[in-house]
Amino acid sequence: MTDQYKYELVIIGGGPAGMTAAIYAAQAGIKTVILEKSVTGGLVNSTHTVSNFPSFPSIHGMHLMEKMREHVDGLNVPVEEVCELEKLELTSEMKTIETDEAVYETDAVILATGRKPIPLDIPVECEQVHYCAICDGPPYKNKKILVVGGGNSAFDESRYLLGIGIKHIHLVEMMDRFAAAQSTREELFSSGCVTAQLSARVTDLVLEDSNLVGAEVEDMKTGKKEMIEVDGVFVFIGQHPNNELFRSQVNLNQQGYILANTDMSTNIPGVFGAGDINEKVYRQITTAMNDGTIAALAAERFLRNR
Amino acid sequence: MFTELSDTNFAETISTIETGIVICFKKLCPHCKNMEKVLEKFAKKNAGVPLFNLDSEENPKTMEGLKTDRIPTILVIKNGTVAAQKSGLMNPKEMIAFYEGV
Repeated sequence: MTDQYKYELVIIGGGPAGMTAAIYAAQAGIKTVILEKSVTGGLVNSTHTVSNFPSFPSIHGMHLMEKMREHVDGLNVPVEEVCELEKLELTSEMKTIETDEAVYETDAVILATGRKPIPLDIPVECEQVHYCAICDGPPYKNKKILVVGGGNSAFDESRYLLGIGIKHIHLVEMMDRFAAAQSTREELFSSGCVTAQLSARVTDLVLEDSNLVGAEVEDMKTGKKEMIEVDGVFVFIGQHPNNELFRSQVNLNQQGYILANTDMSTNIPGVFGAGDINEKVYRQITTAMNDGTIAALAAERFLRNR
Repeated sequence: MFTELSDTNFAETISTIETGIVICFKKLCPHCKNMEKVLEKFAKKNAGVPLFNLDSEENPKTMEGLKTDRIPTILVIKNGTVAAQKSGLMNPKEMIAFYEGV
């Protein structure tokens, strides 16, 4: 038999936005639960070094998220992790959320579902294509790898990979410039172990006996293709919004991000968006926390004025 | 919930287990943390299946014996031996299917 729960506020997503919202909601006395598909912390868990979070000059992303989680736990907010969300009904006054194990009824919802990495668009099944340097980097010690992407994630993960003993990184970026911060770029390139290629894209992977031996990289300006010998590929080319469960109900922009108002409210009364899932220019831990704060305060006002 | 294993006691402990699950993990690995939660959920529905963990960085000898350096790696123990092993992330349903398929 499926368990049934009733809350005033359900927060979907346990990243920085969701956890911040939970802290504010709990302190306002709102009966709140966090439902998280994976584990709390979101993409920050995969960040090797966070160096722009005020009060922590340098901290591992997972450590920072553990501290945030301790704060949530200290306020006795229940957190359901590894929670498979199956159906959301948001438009009714009493909203329902079905998971693989329970049904939640709630007066208000904060959608803080964040984003997920974009996969490499190559129709080749290859076990040597990865999206997490910490998880999959160690087997490539003393080997050559290709890193796809030119943003902060690609550079941060590349620094980590060099740190564990990767022999050489060939970095490929489609744009004609790297989006990563200058200091991060300078630090990576000063290693002398990185070859960088702008205006280029991976067009194929070369396998021998199911093992990767190289990647075909196209110079997008000349059309010339070159085979780069590598043992593994790490992909950091951005993220897609996690909106599958509510995109038919909540107003989204063309890219699939929630069109939230300045108080994080959406087109549905009692439904708020917060964090990376919202349409915005900058996506940082601090901006996610800003959204989470506002969404919780707006939810509290909504619940009080019903 | 997890009993810690090491190079010193891995083989001996495994040989005494009728059925169990081992996760080979690494500290600060988000997928490992995720997989640990999947196993905790698995254990709630399979109370008789004990869970063990092995730090892959601190126990290289065992990892070498398992012929893997990818993490997380899940081992299904049946009748004192490693009956199956799989690297990478699984959701709860996939974990149950993996365990029941052995």
